[in-house]
Amino acid sequence: MDHFLAILSAVPVTLLVTFAAFALGAVIALPLAGGRRSRFAVVRLLTKGVIDILRGVPPVVFVFILFFGVGSDLIRWEPLPAAIVGLGLISAGHLAEIYRGGLMAVHQGQFEASAALGLTSTTTFSRVIGPQAFRVAIPGMVTWLISLLKDSSIVSTIGVAEIMFVTSQGARSSGEGLLPFIIAGAVYIALGTPLAALSRWLEKKLSFGRRA
Amino acid sequence: MELLTDWVEWLPRLLSGLWVSVQVTVLALVIGIPIGFVLAFMSSARNAIVRWLTIIVVEVGRGMPALVMLQMVYFGLPEAGVVLDSFAATVIALGLTTSAYTSEIIRAGLRAVPEGELEAADALGLKRGDIVRFILIPQGFRIALPTLMGFAILILQVSSLAFTLGLPELLSQAYSIGASTFEYLEVLTLAGILYLVITVPGGWLVENFEKRLSKHLA
Amino acid sequence: MTDPQPKAGETILRLNDIRKVYGDHVALGGVSLDVKRGEVVAIIGPSGSGKSTLLRCVNQLEVPDSGTLEVLGSNIDFAGRVSSADLLALRRKVGMVFQSFNLFPHMNVLRNVSFPQERVLGRSREEADKVSRDLLERVGLANKMENFPQKCSGGQQQRVAIARALALEPQIMLFDEPTSALDPELGLEVLAVMRRLADQGMTMVVVTHEIHFAAEVADRLIVMADGAIIEEGVPSELLAAPKTARAKQFLSAITDR
Repeated sequence: MDHFLAILSAVPVTLLVTFAAFALGAVIALPLAGGRRSRFAVVRLLTKGVIDILRGVPPVVFVFILFFGVGSDLIRWEPLPAAIVGLGLISAGHLAEIYRGGLMAVHQGQFEASAALGLTSTTTFSRVIGPQAFRVAIPGMVTWLISLLKDSSIVSTIGVAEIMFVTSQGARSSGEGLLPFIIAGAVYIALGTPLAALSRWLEKKLSFGRRA
Repeated sequence: MELLTDWVEWLPRLLSGLWVSVQVTVLALVIGIPIGFVLAFMSSARNAIVRWLTIIVVEVGRGMPALVMLQMVYFGLPEAGVVLDSFAATVIALGLTTSAYTSEIIRAGLRAVPEGELEAADALGLKRGDIVRFILIPQGFRIALPTLMGFAILILQVSSLAFTLGLPELLSQAYSIGASTFEYLEVLTLAGILYLVITVPGGWLVENFEKRLSKHLA
Repeated sequence: MTDPQPKAGETILRLNDIRKVYGDHVALGGVSLDVKRGEVVAIIGPSGSGKSTLLRCVNQLEVPDSGTLEVLGSNIDFAGRVSSADLLALRRKVGMVFQSFNLFPHMNVLRNVSFPQERVLGRSREEADKVSRDLLERVGLANKMENFPQKCSGGQQQRVAIARALALEPQIMLFDEPTSALDPELGLEVLAVMRRLADQGMTMVVVTHEIHFAAEVADRLIVMADGAIIEEGVPSELLAAPKTARAKQFLSAITDR
C-alpha cells in the first residue's frame, strides 16, 4: 500500500514530463518536416541528418548528453528541464517523420487542383493539404505519445522524481524487488490503456472518413 | 585535437561496451521473435480463453516500459529464488519485451496478406495447413520484415537501459569514463555516435526495404 | 469410388435453387443453372446482380445458405455441413481465374504454376515443372518463367493465373471478370487464350463485361439482375432481341457507351 501511494504521488511528474515533451516536440517537428521538403538540397540533407540523429541515439544516452554532458560543461540545469528538453527533441525527430508521412499520403492531385484553382500556397497548406495530412498523422502521433509515456521512465536515471524514480527508491529502502515494479508496471499500463484505446478509435474513425 | 586523442584513447573500451550491447540485443531477438511468432498465432486462436489470455500477456508486455521489465527481472526474480547476473537478466527482460512487440508486428503482417491470394489458394484446392505454411507465413513474414528490422534497431537502443543493472554495455562504459575524467560531454557524444553508426544505416536499410516491398505488393 | 466418365454433352454442373443472403441483402434468391460438358456459358449483368457470387458458390468461396450443387456426379447439399475432403475434391475439379489475378507474389511465374501441382496432385517438382513449362509456352509466356509476378504486365499475370488453374487439370473453368482489371489491349491477350481454351472443348463459366467475347465464344448467354437469372439464350439471339425490359435496359446501357 505504501508503495502504491508513493508511486501514485509521482504520476503527475510522469504526465508533466510526457505531455511537456510531446508539446515541445510537436512544435519543433513542424520546421523539421518542412525542411525535409525544402527546395534546397542542403536543407533537405541537413534536416534529414538532424532527424536521423534524434531518432538514432538511445533516449537515455541523449538525455545523459544533455544533463551530464552539456549540463556540467556549458550550462547548469535541473533534471526536470533537461528531461523535458531531451525527450522533447527526440519527439521532434519522430513527429517530424510522422508529419512527413501525413504529407506524403496527400494525393499529388490535391496540390495540382489547388494550384489550378489559383489558391495561394498558404491557403493550400492551411486549408487543403494540412487538414488532410493531419488526419493521416493523428494515429501515429498518439502512438508516439504512448511510447513517450513509457520512455519517460528513463529520466529517473538523472533524478527526476517520476514513477520509476520513486519505485526504485521504494524497492531499495524496503528491500522488496518484485512488488514495487509490478505496481509501477500496472500504473504505466493503466495510464497507457486509455491512450491506446483512443489511438485505435481514431484510426478506425479517420480511416473510415478517408474512404468515404 | 585533444578531443580526438581522447576519443582514440576511449574507443577500445567503448567498443567492448558496444559489443556487449550487440550481444544482448541479438540474443534477445533470437529468444523473443520465435516466442512472438507463437503468440501471434495464439492471439488469433479459435479458443476464446487462449486468445484473450494471449492478448492480455501481449498488452502487458507492450504496456510496460522496458526499464520496469529490466528492473523487475533483475531485482524481482531473486525473490522467487531465481538469481540472474546482469547479462542474463538483460537478455531475458529484453527478450520478453521483444516477444510482446514482435507478436503484434507479425500478427499485423499475417493480416496484411491480401485476401485474394488466400482465396486463390483455396480455389486451387490447397489444404488449410499448406496455405498457412506456404502462402500465409512466408508472405506475412515478408510484409512484417521491415517493421521487425526497425524493431531490432530499437532494441539495440533499449539495451542502453541495462546500464542500470551494471551491465558493462556501451552506456555504462561511457558513463564510468565520464565519472573518472569528468569529460562527460565528450565521451557521451562518442557513445552516441557509436550507436548512430549502427542505427542510422540500419534505418536506411529498413526504408529501402519498405520501398521495395511496397512496390512488390502494388 | 471412381468417377463415372460422363459423355460429351452431359450435364456436369448443376446448381439448384442456390440462395445466399448477406444481412438483409439477398445476393442470390434461389438460382438454378445447368452446364453441359464442353459448354461455354457467359454471365452478364449490372454490378450487384449476384453474378460473381453465383460463380464463387460453385467452388465454395462463398457458402450458399441453401440449395444443392452437383459437380461431375458428386452432390453437395448446403442445408448440411460440407466436409473438407468433399471441398478439396470439388476444388480439384473446378479451376478459377480471378479479376485481380491473385498470383503468389513470393514465387516466380514457374513456381506459381508448379507449386499447387506438387501440393494438390502430389506431382514431383520435375513433373510439375514440365507441365508448367508446356502450359506457359502455350499461353505465350515461355520467356517469363523466371520473372516474379510484379514484373509482368496485368495481361501476362492473368495468363499465368490461367495456366496455374489449368495445370491442375480441372474439368470446369470459372472466370470471374478476368479482363476487368486490364487495359483493353492487354485484355485481348487474355481473351485470345480463353477463346483457344473454348475451342479445345473446355467447359467454361465466364462472368464478364465483354459483350463481343460473349457473343462470339459463348454457347449460352445468361443475364442476371437482383440475384436472379432474368433471361438466357443463344447469345446472338438474346443480344439482338432481349425479351425482358430489364435485360433490354442493361444491354443498351453497356452497348451505348
